[in-house]
Parts: sequence; C-alpha cells; structure tokens
Amino acid sequence: MVRRLSELPEVEARHLSPDRVKCPTYDDTPLLPGKPLGQRRVAIISTAGLHKRGDRPFDRDDGSYRVIPAETPAGELVMSHVSVNFDRTGFQQDHNVVFPIDRLRELVADGTVGSMASVHYSFMGAFPVDAAQPHAKHLAGLLKADKVDAALLVPV
Amino acid sequence: MGALGHFLEREGIPTAGISLVREHTEIVRPPRALWVTFELGRPLGKPDDAPFQARVLRAQLDMLARTDGPLLVDYPEEVEGEVDLSGWACPISLAPQPSDTLDAEVARLATWYDRAVAARGRTTVGASGLDMPAAAALVTGALEGALPPAQTLKLAVDDLRAFYLEAASAFPDPGTSKTRIAWFWDETLLAKALLRLQPKLAASDDKQHKLLASLTLIPATERHRLGGST
Repeated sequence: MVRRLSELPEVEARHLSPDRVKCPTYDDTPLLPGKPLGQRRVAIISTAGLHKRGDRPFDRDDGSYRVIPAETPAGELVMSHVSVNFDRTGFQQDHNVVFPIDRLRELVADGTVGSMASVHYSFMGAFPVDAAQPHAKHLAGLLKADKVDAALLVPV
Repeated sequence: MGALGHFLEREGIPTAGISLVREHTEIVRPPRALWVTFELGRPLGKPDDAPFQARVLRAQLDMLARTDGPLLVDYPEEVEGEVDLSGWACPISLAPQPSDTLDAEVARLATWYDRAVAARGRTTVGASGLDMPAAAALVTGALEGALPPAQTLKLAVDDLRAFYLEAASAFPDPGTSKTRIAWFWDETLLAKALLRLQPKLAASDDKQHKLLASLTLIPATERHRLGGST
C-alpha cells in the first residue's frame, strides 16, 4: 500500500521523490464540461506500457502510444514498461487491475456508461513530457474521430 | 500520467485519472484525479475482485461530472496488507545443484508455467519475442561474453521474470505475490545472474547499458543485494 511518501520505507520514498521524478507544472488546469455518464463514450488510456504481443515494445524515453482495439483478447496483452519498481504480479493474475476493460464493458452493459471506444491506448508512463506531447495531441484527434468524449487515465 | 490529463483536456477530451502518488499529483494538478492508496502496479486495487475494481472505476467516472477543479479526490477504500508468510517455504525445490545452469532452472519451471497459463488462460510473457530458453541463453551469454544491446537484454529479462513469477503462482502452495517475489530474489539462479550482470553493465562504455544497470534491471527494493554479489 502506498500512503504518503513519508510513510514509505526510505529506499522507496527516495525513488518516488518529486525532486527525482521531475513532475511537470502548469499555470492552469482546463476542465471541460460534458454529457451525463450514461451518454458518454469512454476510452481507457493506460500508461502501463501495454501493447499487443508482437507490437513494437516500448523503449526508454518513448513518448509514443500503442493501439489496443477493444476486442483484443486479454491473452494478447503484454507489458514492456522500462521501470522495475512496481508490482507486475497483479497484472499477471488479472489484467483488469491495470487495464479495467472488462469492468468498463460491464458498466456499458448495465447502462451506467453510454458506450465504449472501439480502440484504447497505452503509453509507457516513464516518458519525458516533451516526448509525449505531440503523440497526445495526435491521440486527441483519434479519440474525437471515434466520438470519444471521456478518457480514463490509468497509471501503473 | 497527470501530464496526459492536461494535454488531452486542452485538446478537447475530458479526462479522469487515477493517482497512485498523491505528492506527484499535487504538483502536476491534472483536471481530475482519484487518489488511491493501492500498491504501485495495481491501480484498480485488487486482482480478481471485480466488485472492488468496479467501485474504483465508478468513483473515477463520477468525477467527470465536475468542472470545479483541479480535482484531487481521496478514494476511501484501502487494500489490506497480505498476511505475513515469512515462514513460507517454496514447495518446489529449486535449490541449485553444483553444476546447475540457468537453462536447467528454466526447464524445471516450464511445467509450472504451463499449468499457470492453463489456469489463467493467458500469459504476460512475450514482449521480447524470444522463447524462454533463448532468453536464458541471452542472459548467460551476456554474463560470459559480449553484452547484447540493452533493450534486447531488458525485454528478455522482463519476460524471464514474468515466466518465473507466473510459474510460481501455480506451485502447490503458491504463497502470496510477496513471498513469490522474495523467492525469486532469494533462491533463483536467474536473480543471482541479474545481480552478477549489473556490475558488468555498469562498467560498459555503452550509455544504455549503464542506464540498465543503474535503473531498470534491479528494483530499488532489491539493490541492497548488489553489495554482496559483486
């Protein structure tokens, strides 16, 4: 369990220190209004370094994304995140603990969520911000083309 | 992760994220973040617990209705720590024989890996594109001869690690994920090989080898083992 960094063992707290991680800062934060949840089309954007087996693995400082079509079988999902400092056994046991596509599908089925995107995406979260920005801009266009109006950002 | 929220929202896509490290999110200030206290690597909390995952996901989705941000909401549920099984002993003896090799260890685990794949109906091994004997041979070759490219080695090592831990999950008494990770680092030839490989990578003239040695081969929590292994 991760509570506050100050409660973690020193080696882990040091590894996650904001000074070391170099978190970006922004002058303001945009927040867009939208439709009720039952009318939204939702995509999952993971930063777990996920992709289909056989797709190009992520490399260090890689700011690009991989495409995960909604019908991708769970058995086709692999992870090539560069970091070794997070648990992977949860993902090995159940992909939904990292990439909750079955949970989202259930919420669509019961009417809580309007619909699910036809395609989901994954980045590899250790990216330098400048390397990811052009890809994210491109991704926004793809999401709009798929009529997505909500993105669930899921880290690892 | 928080940066993606800024990028996408600015481009017209509303976002709601999960935060695993509150201190990072407080700095980045993304549009909407649900802070959870779960272990890194488990943003939805509990594997094989669909109701738990659904509650987290619903809390994340519910933030989309709000525009009074940046929002940083504390998720109320926690995952209880695993039972302490420090006395747990691996039921499958992998104790190395005097003439044992990494290849032999991989071969001994294959049957357990196959059982794990059959039970789960999937595997996460496969990012490297190598079969496990070839991945093991790559590690052995890196120890004994020239180092392969860092990315090739990294993907092979990550696949081997996944292979070992998936195999261990099918042992007759599999313990917990924590005890299996401890087993990996305490008892396997592969872990010993990685600990021996680290100083060789650190001494390489190749910058990518050095980065692999310093950051992405040995987890921060296991680096204390390096002192005695070099």
